[in-house]
Amino acid sequence: MSILRSMAAGLRSFFRKDCAERELDEELTGFLEMAAEEKMNEGMTRQEALRAARLERGSLEVTKEVIHSATWESFIETCWRDFRFGVRTLCKSPGFTAVAIITLALGIGANAAIFSAIYAVLLKPIPFKDPDRLVFIEKQNKPRGWVRNPISSAEIVAWRSQSGAFDDVAAYKEKSCVLTSAGEAEEDPCEVITSNLFPLLGVLPIHGRTFSTEEDQPGGPRVAILSYRLWQKRFATDEKVIGRAINIDGDSYTVVGVMPANLSHLYASSYDTLPDLWLSGIALSPTQVWNEYFGIGRLKPGFSLQQAESQLDAISARIESMDPDLKDWRAQLMTLRTNASGDTRSALFVLMGAVVFVLLIACANVANLLLARSARRANEFAVRNALGASQSRVVRQLLTESLVISMAGGACGLLLATLGRKGLAALAPEALLRSAPDLAVTAADFRILAFTFLVAIVTTVLFGLAPALQNARPHVTEILKETGRSSLQSPRSRRLRSALVVSEIALAFVLLIGAGLMVRTLAQLGHLNLGFNPTNVLTLRVPLSGERYKEPQSRVQFWDQVISVVESLPGVESASVSRGLPISGWVGQFFTTAEDPTPPAGQVPDANYVVVGPHYFHTMQIPLRAGRTFNDHDTNASERVVIVNEELSRLYWAGQDVLGKRLQIGGAGPWRTVVGVAGNVLSQGPDAGFHSEMYIPYQQFPWLMDGPKHLVVRTVGNVRPQTLVRSVVQEIHRIDKDQPVADIATMEQIALEPVAQRRMVMALLVSFAGLALILSTLGIYSVLSYSIAQRTREIGLRMALGAQHGNVLRLVVAGGARLAALGIAVGLSASLALTQLMKVLLFGVRPIDPFTFYAVIALLAVTSILACYIPARRAMRVDPMEALRYE
Amino acid sequence: MPKERSDLVQGTLDMLILKTLALEPMHGYGITVRLEQISKATFRINAGSLFVALQRLQRAGLIRTEWKATENSRRAKYYTLTQQGRKRLDNETKEWERQVAAIARILEAS
Repeated sequence: MSILRSMAAGLRSFFRKDCAERELDEELTGFLEMAAEEKMNEGMTRQEALRAARLERGSLEVTKEVIHSATWESFIETCWRDFRFGVRTLCKSPGFTAVAIITLALGIGANAAIFSAIYAVLLKPIPFKDPDRLVFIEKQNKPRGWVRNPISSAEIVAWRSQSGAFDDVAAYKEKSCVLTSAGEAEEDPCEVITSNLFPLLGVLPIHGRTFSTEEDQPGGPRVAILSYRLWQKRFATDEKVIGRAINIDGDSYTVVGVMPANLSHLYASSYDTLPDLWLSGIALSPTQVWNEYFGIGRLKPGFSLQQAESQLDAISARIESMDPDLKDWRAQLMTLRTNASGDTRSALFVLMGAVVFVLLIACANVANLLLARSARRANEFAVRNALGASQSRVVRQLLTESLVISMAGGACGLLLATLGRKGLAALAPEALLRSAPDLAVTAADFRILAFTFLVAIVTTVLFGLAPALQNARPHVTEILKETGRSSLQSPRSRRLRSALVVSEIALAFVLLIGAGLMVRTLAQLGHLNLGFNPTNVLTLRVPLSGERYKEPQSRVQFWDQVISVVESLPGVESASVSRGLPISGWVGQFFTTAEDPTPPAGQVPDANYVVVGPHYFHTMQIPLRAGRTFNDHDTNASERVVIVNEELSRLYWAGQDVLGKRLQIGGAGPWRTVVGVAGNVLSQGPDAGFHSEMYIPYQQFPWLMDGPKHLVVRTVGNVRPQTLVRSVVQEIHRIDKDQPVADIATMEQIALEPVAQRRMVMALLVSFAGLALILSTLGIYSVLSYSIAQRTREIGLRMALGAQHGNVLRLVVAGGARLAALGIAVGLSASLALTQLMKVLLFGVRPIDPFTFYAVIALLAVTSILACYIPARRAMRVDPMEALRYE
Repeated sequence: MPKERSDLVQGTLDMLILKTLALEPMHGYGITVRLEQISKATFRINAGSLFVALQRLQRAGLIRTEWKATENSRRAKYYTLTQQGRKRLDNETKEWERQVAAIARILEAS
């Protein structure tokens, strides 16, 4: 209440200043006159009395000032006055102002851009009900080092019924469906879900309903929910679609609902996009151990992830004996947030650290400029001080001036950040853009604005406080005595400026090391032999679903046809098919060898299970180490054969002749004879190393899984694979016009995916480090130039006394080199510790990489010497006569 | 020169002004004179602190103002206690007495 009244009164007197002023004047004059009248009654003259009253009670003007300054509106008035004064002063030195604002804009802009990325990826709430309690339920096999595996129905049932940690657990499995009844056949990502999935997430359909529990049966009513996208694209947003029958993979489903457009895909652990269809029909059986489901649970309040995990582990240990396939498997829980941000978290933290460093360097630079400038303004402050300005008043005025600079810098920084975000979105790996679509949105969010504002304020204190405090304690008499001579630099101020330069160089050193390590990492990755040759390879996927391809033989026929027509296309060297592609997803499968046909449960060997066509090794250029590749004689009628990779033969037949060995896949089916040994392939990206692999000819069609779907085409030397897309797709559609073609990409694109994030980090770190190098070089340069200007007389004197040019050069360069050496030393010791933080981002390089360290030391040393050289040249040209004449 | 001057105990000037105004509306100089007389010139009040206090009290709604003629037919701003001011004075007086009693007890005890 009283605050409001005080504000109202303040505003009244603020806007009716003249009126309030007159009233106060009259009142005070009256006050003093009354006091004087009393004195006159005691016999003083009027003049004496007035003087005595003023002495006793305070003069009119001082009293008015005291009364006025006690109000809050006067505080604002002073700020406003300081602000206008600051703007005027800054406009008088446009060079200084521009440099300071640009420097800060770069620092603040980089921070705002990286913060906006962090917000989009790590902080923005996931749009589900109480998302922090939602967890993915997957499983891991610690003894075998397998993580993030899908879970089985038996485990879901046991966990759900025996654990008290969850409010509810839903399950889904991923699938590709082909919707044939509405327009052109097209493959759509879809999910088979339990009916409680959407209620668990707390999302509602915009039309119709979600599934009911009766529909959780494979034999129950077949019902489907459409995504908004699919509804729009295939059903023209027709609300009457509810209740309609649609044909999916040859079966008829009834549409019961449509989900909203803004539904997030972040509940799905591995899909990067939202499914287009959700189908009913998961019946969870307590005995089924096939690992095909993803689980998602809502933790009960009060349960931590660890508590829930240990509860589930206890249950897993109980049911382990039920089936050998359950042995050693334990739950692996992960919050939605952790899953969505994945390994981006560490990359973003490294980048945030880097931009903070850039900002600190920018602040140090501006502080240095301010110190130099305030030395020139020493007279002004001495005069202010002499006229009665208090220290705090001077500090306040200088800080306001700094605030003007940093606010302008912040505004420009915001513009830079918008540009920076565009660049960031262009550099970001696709997977990151999909899990954080906001990254590509460049509109300024109010949080980004608030962050930038906050950074600008902090910046003001960082760069403005030290110079302001320095100025607030001038040696008034000394400075005023020396009027005319620009200033004298106190040793304290000189030390401060040197310290700033040293820290700038140290910070730049750390950034350069970080950037250097990333450059080395990318170089290592670039030279990495993947085990196959990704250049000139086109890949695409044909789902081969529907009635027509139910029989394995029909699929073999389809691919036989496709391969022969594609291989006859001009520009094609060879073509083949495979089930899955290296890096983007091969699937493991158990096998047993003839030597050890019944290994104990939990120790059954496994290998990536790759079904390929005859020319696969040639097309991918995977070298054959022994034996033969597949050929047209490997048919359904001939001997069952397999090609293993070096890793598999090393693990299970080390030192033996591998050719002719036999293995059985999946614990049933025919025994296969090894006819060849292929070279190892980095099948799961560069970080995962080599895995066992077994290749099976697709003509001997496997009874497991659903056969090959990927076409791989190698083009001849100078034909870019992208140019063949049209003709290949045409040929496929000539063979079967109802088969959609999906996932068209070059193998090079696929091979780059795992390094995309490192590439982004590298590009950003290199630009930040470059910025840091420029700023810190400018820092040395400006400090030295300034000190030369200060020491003109001294240098003149030295030269007059016989110092040679060389001596002067050495004097100046040595001064700069000392600072640089100190900075490098500090930066070196900081880097030794800090580079450990970016370990996960590195590949093939140790955090303390001697080459990088030497290179950065050399780079900084050379640039620092160059930065010293220019002012040193100026010092050499000092004319002793002229320098001394100033005295 | 006046006799030895004491500084007011922090924050008590407001209370003393309110007390003075509780008797009758007064102008600024009147308040000063009254305070100095009653305190037997223990306190000397300068214009600055007086008017800052008056401004504060007015903004807090404890007093209101009015221009009137003085007995010497001069125009002056008179300050009057509001209902709220009266309440505040009561509270502050009670609080003050409580504290003084407590302090006195402590001083006597030792």
